Amino acid sequence: MKAFLKKEWMEGLRTGRTGILLLLFALFGIMNPAIAKLTPWLIETMSESFASAGIVTTAVTVDAMFSWMQFYKNAPMALLLFLLLSSGSFTAEYQKGTLIPTVAKGLPRWKILAAKALALSALWTALYFLCYGITYGYNAYFWDNHIAAHLLFAAACYWMFGIWLLALLVLFSTLAKTSSQVLLGIGAAAIALYALSVFPKCSKILPLKLMDAMPLLQSLASPQDYYAPMALSGITALLCIALSIPCFNRKYL
Amino acid sequence: MEMLTFSHVEKHFGEKKVLQDASFSVPEHTIFGFIGKNGAGKTTAMKLILGLLACDSGEILVNGFPVRYGNTRTNRFIGYLPDVPEFYPYMTPTEYLHFCGEVAGMPAKECKARAKELLRLVGLEKERGRIKGFSRGMKQRLGIAQALFGRPKLLICDEPTSALDPAGRKELLDILAAAKEQSAVLFSTHILSDVEHICDKVAFLHEGRVALHGSLEKIRRLRKSTSMEIEMERPEDAKTLLAAFPYLQQKGRTHLQQEGTGMASGLSMQCGWQKGNAHLLLEDTARLPEILHFLAGQELPIQRMERKEPTLEDLFLEVIAK
Repeated sequence: MKAFLKKEWMEGLRTGRTGILLLLFALFGIMNPAIAKLTPWLIETMSESFASAGIVTTAVTVDAMFSWMQFYKNAPMALLLFLLLSSGSFTAEYQKGTLIPTVAKGLPRWKILAAKALALSALWTALYFLCYGITYGYNAYFWDNHIAAHLLFAAACYWMFGIWLLALLVLFSTLAKTSSQVLLGIGAAAIALYALSVFPKCSKILPLKLMDAMPLLQSLASPQDYYAPMALSGITALLCIALSIPCFNRKYL
Repeated sequence: MEMLTFSHVEKHFGEKKVLQDASFSVPEHTIFGFIGKNGAGKTTAMKLILGLLACDSGEILVNGFPVRYGNTRTNRFIGYLPDVPEFYPYMTPTEYLHFCGEVAGMPAKECKARAKELLRLVGLEKERGRIKGFSRGMKQRLGIAQALFGRPKLLICDEPTSALDPAGRKELLDILAAAKEQSAVLFSTHILSDVEHICDKVAFLHEGRVALHGSLEKIRRLRKSTSMEIEMERPEDAKTLLAAFPYLQQKGRTHLQQEGTGMASGLSMQCGWQKGNAHLLLEDTARLPEILHFLAGQELPIQRMERKEPTLEDLFLEVIAK
């Protein structure tokens, strides 16, 4: 498995995928405090045109909370880009036939699956916390992060949501033939979740709740409110991985 | 000991029967040639051995262990060269072979030495660039190196010489011949001269069935008689000879002209008479003296008289024509 992990790392670096993602996540990390910092100036610059349209603008005070709000607004876009760039992790190998010589050497398929799942999770963790770290650093420099409560727990909630989606990506990758089929599968699962979240009882425990981390920062919710969706996400992610092993064992390469 | 046993295997893809009751075996230290037309089921049979496809019925044993679809432990005995080998394009050949060694659980030091040895063997030792710039022939060379890397007990090669130039083909055949010392080799090909050069045993696969199976000598003996080819100096003499001995056959000038004309009985072969064709074929060589007597009596000049040994190609055409 170590050999395959090394191969995944090399693939990410040499194909430029890791570099692109690194750049994007760093950009997102900088963008959050930058938007917060630029918002008063933007409003001031546009106040005259707003006034002519009958809109009265007042002086805006921004703080770390505003920047964290940007973080949770931009995080879905970063996650989507990560999924888009990772959706071919398995399917590209099926299409090219590059897994055949490896499997023909007797490497158990579950080790390939585990290496890929681990590599994807490690990359998501590193990139997400890089983005978080950059935002945190700028916020600490310009303002005060203490204004936001449960900062790390809220970040962990969103990270968990990413891990849950990656588990779905792994499962669909063992069922699908192309990366677009994988993305369609994840999309269908997300739609199903949104449909279920219409019911208030469901919405409290569904993984989608983990995306809504702002109430934690604003002390409008407590970490206990997130334990159930965290546990459900963890259990279903493990189930997805467990289910993907027999599917991958029977997959035509 | 049999390294591979393929026993009454059947495989269907929907309505299409790809393999039907196919059985053969490959003993240790044997080069086994797998011959068949395109679509005869050769690649399917190889994928079944590797557990990349599931059998509908029958059993496959590798080194005495049954092959299971998907995650088969028998693959640890196998080295495999696919028909169109694909590798990670961002790696160099040395990196790829190191990866193969690590996958097989080989110590790093041994990996390095083995990679160097095999790259020299396949003529890629000077290639420092990444695999993405490789031609198909170079990939095939790297393919044989990776297949041999773990010193497999069974080496499976799917048309290994198809993308190689004549020199490369000879080198590869030499490698396969040398690999026999440590492995049983199963290789499929369309190039029958390759089979005649290095194989100990062969199987002809036709329409999903093993039409013929056995040692090369045994297969050759199946065509019981040799024949005589007579080429007259003048075509009109050939006509005279044919009129005197109607059991002689008119023969096409080139071998290609014979293809698909029904080689099963030899005597039933029909070739259209071509203007200027002075070639005749005598199937029953016991009648040669009376023909020679006639030729001497009539003073008909002969250009060439040649004893024609049955080739594997004849037999292959005979099998697929049945």
